[in-house]
Amino acid sequence: MLKVEHLTKVYPNGVVALDDVSFTVSEKEFLAIIGLSGSGKSTLLRCINRLVEPTSGKIEWYGKNIVGMNSGELRKIRRQIGMIFQQFNLVKRASVLTNVLSGRLGYVSPRISLPGIWPKEEKERAARALHRMGLDDKAKSRADTLSGGQQQRVGIARALMQEPKLILADEPVASLDPVLAHSILRHLEELNRDEGITIMCSLHFLDLVHRYANRVLALKDGRILFDGPPRDIDHARFKEIYGEEAEDVRATFVDAPSQ
Amino acid sequence: MPPSPRPPAPRLIRLTLVTLAIVTVYVVSLRETEIDLPALATGFPNGITLVRDFLTPDVAVRETANSSVGLDFPVPCGSAPEEEVPESGPRIIPSDPCGEVGATIIVEGVGLGAGADVSLWWILQGISDQRLRAARVTTDSEGYFQTTVEIRPIVATKEGKASKLTAEITSEVGVLRPSPALLETVDAAILTVFMALIATSMAAIFAVPLSFLAAANITRHGGFGSAIYYVTRAYLNITRTFEPLVLATIFGLWVGFGAFAGVLALAVFTVGSLGKLYSEAVESIDPGPVEAVRATGAGPVETIFYAVIPQVIPQFTSFSVYHWDINVRISTIIGFVGGGGIGFLLNQRLRTFSYHKAGTAILAIVLVVSLLDFFSAAVRKRAT
Ligand SMILES: Nc1ncnc2c1ncn2[C@@H]1O[C@H](COP(=O)(O)OP(=O)(O)OP(=O)(O)O)[C@@H](O)[C@H]1O
Ligand SMILES: [Mg+2]
Repeated sequence: MLKVEHLTKVYPNGVVALDDVSFTVSEKEFLAIIGLSGSGKSTLLRCINRLVEPTSGKIEWYGKNIVGMNSGELRKIRRQIGMIFQQFNLVKRASVLTNVLSGRLGYVSPRISLPGIWPKEEKERAARALHRMGLDDKAKSRADTLSGGQQQRVGIARALMQEPKLILADEPVASLDPVLAHSILRHLEELNRDEGITIMCSLHFLDLVHRYANRVLALKDGRILFDGPPRDIDHARFKEIYGEEAEDVRATFVDAPSQ
Repeated sequence: MPPSPRPPAPRLIRLTLVTLAIVTVYVVSLRETEIDLPALATGFPNGITLVRDFLTPDVAVRETANSSVGLDFPVPCGSAPEEEVPESGPRIIPSDPCGEVGATIIVEGVGLGAGADVSLWWILQGISDQRLRAARVTTDSEGYFQTTVEIRPIVATKEGKASKLTAEITSEVGVLRPSPALLETVDAAILTVFMALIATSMAAIFAVPLSFLAAANITRHGGFGSAIYYVTRAYLNITRTFEPLVLATIFGLWVGFGAFAGVLALAVFTVGSLGKLYSEAVESIDPGPVEAVRATGAGPVETIFYAVIPQVIPQFTSFSVYHWDINVRISTIIGFVGGGGIGFLLNQRLRTFSYHKAGTAILAIVLVVSLLDFFSAAVRKRAT
């Protein structure tokens, strides 16, 4: 479904965040992206829906190159790709329902969305998404009154409104405690398994990668260092990805394999 | 030791020149501003009187009733019949029943009502309708007064008719009512508050869209966007520097002096000022939700409606109320140049030397300004 070829991103300040990155993603994959801070994980995810403009290379979505596409076409692609964020990125002062409905903006006409008169079917769709995330009673609450885990579930509900084929998740659990992290990732796993939604998710903890992903993409300094199943990340690869000083982390990972 | 960058001689010359220039500027400014410290002392009584007038603003009146009592007072004695002082009721009692020219008598008043204004007149009986003021007093809480009156030659008996010493009494009756000056002031103060409100609202309608165009995070993408961004910013910066007073004069000549000219002047100035404040609020929003909404495939206008506006509403509200507060102050000043409202009234009253009424206007300005200040502070506190 997604084919990335020779993707390069150089920021205006000269930082090469992605350097000739190529890979393909098939439907129904759960792809984890790992790498040290600054290795280019966020940049890669953001290039795919062009929140960040790629400098060069190709990103093909079902055979259509997203790079260089005009904004009208891009919006049609974007609405098929949901995105969730480390900081949840909800509109804090708006209600949960409004936040969820905003996931539908790529589909409905401005005549409906600007005055905010959402038709019944869209409200029902939002109610279903909230129900699915276990947030039935929160629709009317202001987003910033929710806990972190609840806010991230609202973020997923917003993405679900897009009826996405792919969900990009940029460190979705980095701001949450381990219990909530598993709950969020289980939701993504469920969507991947039951709805066939492809997941591309950057993660910091290898135990989470082993537990949820069926493929890993490791980045270092904007290049792909490893692309394969999680079990293939052996000791040498680990050191290559995370550096020599990461020995201790590796130890915990060995001691606590899968949960 | 680092080498000195300049030889010492030119530096000395430069220093001398700069010192000279500074001294010249100060000498000229002191002369031109005509600083006259003695005037502070010599004018002090005037200042005190004015402040006292201001501090006793004309705010309330009572109904008044007028009455008079009097009696014939022959000058010199024997030139005409003397008149008996009545035993009771409101009356005046001279110390002597008659008198000689040049003498001084004491006049008492009894039963005239408490706190009444009393004017003592000589009604010159011989010459028709002529009267001479003898004294002006206020009665005490028992309705009593005492004053001295000089017997001037003009009050002498003519053609056998004595002049009549008369007290004209003006006493307040009934309840305290707002004075006409107060009512007029309240009207003008309300007009000022509404002028500021209308001007601020009109300006806000234009400032909101302009502020989005002048926000770097919304508009400054690509060449066309940057052009719009810079043009809008320039427009806001220019209108912001317009002096409302000058604008009011221009609009006064254009549409006629009055409230409308004042509102236009305020509105033009406020568009720039509010637009700038709003655009800074837009620029300081959390970019996360904007990114998230853009990622759903929303267009630019939808993104503004769903991700930007909810974030800036509290600040927009507090800036608007704050500017309403500022505009009440400015419109007071604009009133002075004919912009209508309370400032206009104050100017009018000062020019006609009605200082008590001017005091009423000043009181109203102080009240309105502090009320709005309080209100806008409260709104801002709640909004954040
Ligand atoms: N807007 C930007 N302008 C300039 N440089 C940037 C920008 N965003 C990221 N970078 C740089 O690009 C490189 C890759 O950043 P990126 O955010 O993609 O890394 P990351 O793997 O997501 O890191 P983290 O784990 O800290 O989120 C870093 O060196 C970063 O400093
Ligand atoms: Mg990142």
